Amino acid sequence: MDLTFSPRREAFRAEVRGWLAANAPGPLPSMDTAEGFDRHRDWERALAAARLSAVSWPEEHGGRGADLIDWLIFEEEYWAAGAPGRVSQNGIFLLAPTLMAYGTDGQKARHLPRMARADDVWAQAWSEPEAGSDLAALRATATPDGDGWRLNGQKTWSSRAVYADWCFGLFRTDPESERHRGLTYFMLPLDSAGVTVRPIAQLDGEHGFAEIFFDDVRVPADGVLGGVGQGWKVAMATTSSERGLTLRSPGRFMATADRLLELARGSGDQTLRDAAVQAWTDSEAYRLHTFAAAARLAEGAQLGAGSSLMKVFWSELDLRMHELALELLGPRAPASGPWLDGFLFALAGPIYAGTNEIQRNIIAERVLGLPR
Amino acid sequence: MRFSFTEDQRLLAEAVREVLGKSCPPESVRAAGDGSARPGPAWRALADIGLLGAHVAEQHGGLGLTPLDTVLAYEETGWSAVPGPLVETAVVGPLSVPSGRLASIADGTLVVSARPADTPYLPDADLADVIVAGSTAVPKEDVTLTAHGSVDATRRLFTDGLTATADAPAAFDRAAVATAAQLLGLGRRLRDETVGYAGQRRQFGTVIGSFQAVKHQLADVAIGLEFAAPLVHRAAYSLAHEAPSASRDVSAAKNAAGRAAHRAARTALQVHGAIGYTGELDLQLWLNRVFALRAAWGGDGFHRARLRADLLERTPLPRLP
Repeated sequence: MDLTFSPRREAFRAEVRGWLAANAPGPLPSMDTAEGFDRHRDWERALAAARLSAVSWPEEHGGRGADLIDWLIFEEEYWAAGAPGRVSQNGIFLLAPTLMAYGTDGQKARHLPRMARADDVWAQAWSEPEAGSDLAALRATATPDGDGWRLNGQKTWSSRAVYADWCFGLFRTDPESERHRGLTYFMLPLDSAGVTVRPIAQLDGEHGFAEIFFDDVRVPADGVLGGVGQGWKVAMATTSSERGLTLRSPGRFMATADRLLELARGSGDQTLRDAAVQAWTDSEAYRLHTFAAAARLAEGAQLGAGSSLMKVFWSELDLRMHELALELLGPRAPASGPWLDGFLFALAGPIYAGTNEIQRNIIAERVLGLPR
Repeated sequence: MRFSFTEDQRLLAEAVREVLGKSCPPESVRAAGDGSARPGPAWRALADIGLLGAHVAEQHGGLGLTPLDTVLAYEETGWSAVPGPLVETAVVGPLSVPSGRLASIADGTLVVSARPADTPYLPDADLADVIVAGSTAVPKEDVTLTAHGSVDATRRLFTDGLTATADAPAAFDRAAVATAAQLLGLGRRLRDETVGYAGQRRQFGTVIGSFQAVKHQLADVAIGLEFAAPLVHRAAYSLAHEAPSASRDVSAAKNAAGRAAHRAARTALQVHGAIGYTGELDLQLWLNRVFALRAAWGGDGFHRARLRADLLERTPLPRLP
């Protein structure tokens, strides 16, 4: 066991810290607004110009070939600097790992560099009105059309699809199929003929959500990622990385916990002070657990269903920390800016990326081996 | 950065697991509640594979290992609920008894009971040859012991009437981490026993482990144990490397392991139902050990106070190394 960082890693940390100190903007308008979205896209372009938008990608696609530990270091520095949320996260952290695993060389060359530069910002198209936690109940279809496909149906809860350029999601290509079979993973531009995107107002007042209607939308053959009919397997690769490491790295929660301690230092409420200390040690537990997971991955292990343990832990920790901050702020809480925004965002954590009820089922059945 | 254990560290834990599987079945833990004068067969087995002498210097017949080397092994001693003052003898003993007697710790013939200076109770003092109060070590024959009731019949408690000197800090923190490791092991045992029971017990025509109300409780047990473990391992690393943050790391570890094990205990009892509340079922051995160890070597209140002092009352030390 060695919990020190090598001089090379320390140099990388120093470079990231220095660059962020010089370049990170102050708070930007919400990325769920038209103006905020554009400002966040500009920020992604600045990151990309410094080759910091996707450090873990191979160099040929705009990354630095950073290993997991370097990526964790990048994330720690990123969130400690108070840098903006990542408007490109759906593409860079969710689609890209799947694209690298299942995409053709042509698909990778076409999409990854544009994604790294935020020339294309991606939205997810998973959920449907009748397929939420039960994603395998999805009904949107793709039917063969010459050498391509025609898409029909409706997707929903698609974050920032109103402003995004492309989307990715699952469609049923075998009309006779049920559940997980007969699904195919598609990627398509949101300005395709027949696509209608309708914004949905959110709890926080912004229009970050959208529903997407597909009306005979023509998609060429290379819009399919992985094999036809292989969509569930391909999609699960994405959701596993989403729940686990790549969507919510420890750095984000460490930064929140550090700020929470600042609030607690000024409080005389012993209950809240103890709770803040507990949250801080939980953020430390998540960080250490991630380093341990990185070591296991380096030894050839898989995260697998273990990523569900992580998803429940970070989403509940994030919410608890923001609730505590609002309690510490007391009467100032309803107008507290970043803490309030963070609270409203944290409320979604136990719901997105697979609800925590579904995660607990996965833990019970696939980690502990209880019967389905 | 490599947060994982060496082959040797894992092998020691596997060896402990193997010998305890044979020498420390539940009936032998239960027998320790009958008031025998010396520790049971597991003690001999742990001496033979070197765990009793793990922290005794090589010149005194031990292995000269660090807390990081043995933390996984202590998890296994928790899994088997080894009776007897193991942490007190093998972790506190080498830092507290005169060097001339260390070889007897390593060979399993000297048994030590110890308590922190501000804690009244000695565990298993009836089995001990030497009593340690804070950093004061006294032969048992020079101490008048008074027996007290204990939640865990296999871990009896005594008062000694000694005026304790201040704890040797290393001894206290090392004992707290070894106890935290035992709590992790106990929590895993309770988790696994309960998963097994829930997969067999049938009600309403199906096994109760198929009900979400049961699954979700056990999932929370798994989460608690999963995220307590890295804190315990980190604390062992901090002690081995004498990191400036060691006392903070130890307190975070002890509380996290205590909470995770307690949750495992509560859930285990709830899922077992009334049968779990009996003395007849072995479950009570692990439940009561958790309740006992949660208060040992600093309860939650003590460790919370140390965490508050470190994190809120001065500029906190960096997280790593």
